[in-house]
Amino acid sequence: MRGFGDLESVIMHMVWDHGNPVTVRELFDELRHERPIAYTTVMSTMDNLHRKGWLAREKDGKAYRYTATASREEYSARLMREALDGGGDTEAVLSHFVAQMGGAESEVLRTVVGRLTRRRPR
Amino acid sequence: MSAALLVFGYTLAVAWSVPVLLSRLTRHGISAGLGLAAWLTAMASVLASAGAAVALLAGAAIAGWPRLAEAVCRSVVGRACTPVMYRSAVFEVPLAAAAAAATLTAVVLAWRYGRAMREAGRRTRAHAEAARITGRRLPVRADSEGGMGGGAAVVLDAPQRAAYCVPGRPAAIVLTSGALAVLDRAQLGAVLAHERAHLTGRHHLLITLSRGLAASFPGVPVFTRGPAEVARLAELCADDAAARRSGRPALVAALLAMGTGTAVPVPALAVTSGVVTARVHRLLDPPRRARHARYGLALAAVMLLLASAPGLVIAFAGPLAAALG
Repeated sequence: MRGFGDLESVIMHMVWDHGNPVTVRELFDELRHERPIAYTTVMSTMDNLHRKGWLAREKDGKAYRYTATASREEYSARLMREALDGGGDTEAVLSHFVAQMGGAESEVLRTVVGRLTRRRPR
Repeated sequence: MSAALLVFGYTLAVAWSVPVLLSRLTRHGISAGLGLAAWLTAMASVLASAGAAVALLAGAAIAGWPRLAEAVCRSVVGRACTPVMYRSAVFEVPLAAAAAAATLTAVVLAWRYGRAMREAGRRTRAHAEAARITGRRLPVRADSEGGMGGGAAVVLDAPQRAAYCVPGRPAAIVLTSGALAVLDRAQLGAVLAHERAHLTGRHHLLITLSRGLAASFPGVPVFTRGPAEVARLAELCADDAAARRSGRPALVAALLAMGTGTAVPVPALAVTSGVVTARVHRLLDPPRRARHARYGLALAAVMLLLASAPGLVIAFAGPLAAALG
């Protein structure tokens, strides 16, 4: 059910949770308790993440040790900036549930909500 | 030449008058789906007749060129003008140069437009991938429609309240932890249904397309007003889909909660102005069936006219121009 793209997410979260540099073997040993998975799948996924710039690696003996290039919080903040500050022609095309509201509309809506919540417990 | 002018005149009339008509018909968001289709039909109709006008104009210009060249030649050098002169390079070269310049301009514009669209597409896919990797999968029981087909929902740890969808393969629906904190389960269902409606309706394509047309034809109302109208009506279509799935009360409560950050139980009234408040108002006070049918019928009629008119005008422009002398 879980796709290959999903494995990238699972591995990134494991790397973030570890904090210190990890090897493919260490993550594989954790992962195979949860799901049937091949060592080479973990290796190629981490290689992909390295190629795409998510993971940095350093040779340690025969194996590589991987670290995240940025923290989960930094990635979240970057995504939020991109999602909320957009407006140019080459921006990502995102459909927000609620459009970014001006201060005035937000204030008006807040008043409506205030009125509704006060009125309710009659 | 006058057949081309007739088609051109028709194109201008439609490009300037139809936006006024459609704005009136779609202002209240009644039959939002038909309204969206009518706007798209109007753009396609204007494009088609403008293309036909340009083709007719070019054809007439090329056919009339020898006579024009002869007239210009005679007015300059009088009787000394010979066919050798006005058929020579002096008069053929400007024509070829003008055609080449027009073609080059069109190619450069198309290339720049294509590059901007590709860049936006690349940024969008990159955003979707980054969100899928950084976010945590929304638990399946909270997302009854979840799955790769309709776009998986992921949660980002962020204090801001945001919920949006990113097209891509696969698409993603992104919610922040700040948004989850103010939504109950029914409201979350409404938000997901709304975003999923955007994805399945391919609204991002319609918005991208209308933005491209607006950038390519500045000053033409049917195109410059397109992006905002398409985006607004797409929003209302998604609201309708979400209301059908999760009910109006849950959707209104979700809109208010996301808009103000205050978790609200089913509200009963909202009379204010603004985009989000307009959506709230429309959901709280839905049009009666008869009014709905009237607007639907009017929109369908406009659409039918817009779809068939360019063909008719092009077919009859020639005979009409001939009859007018």
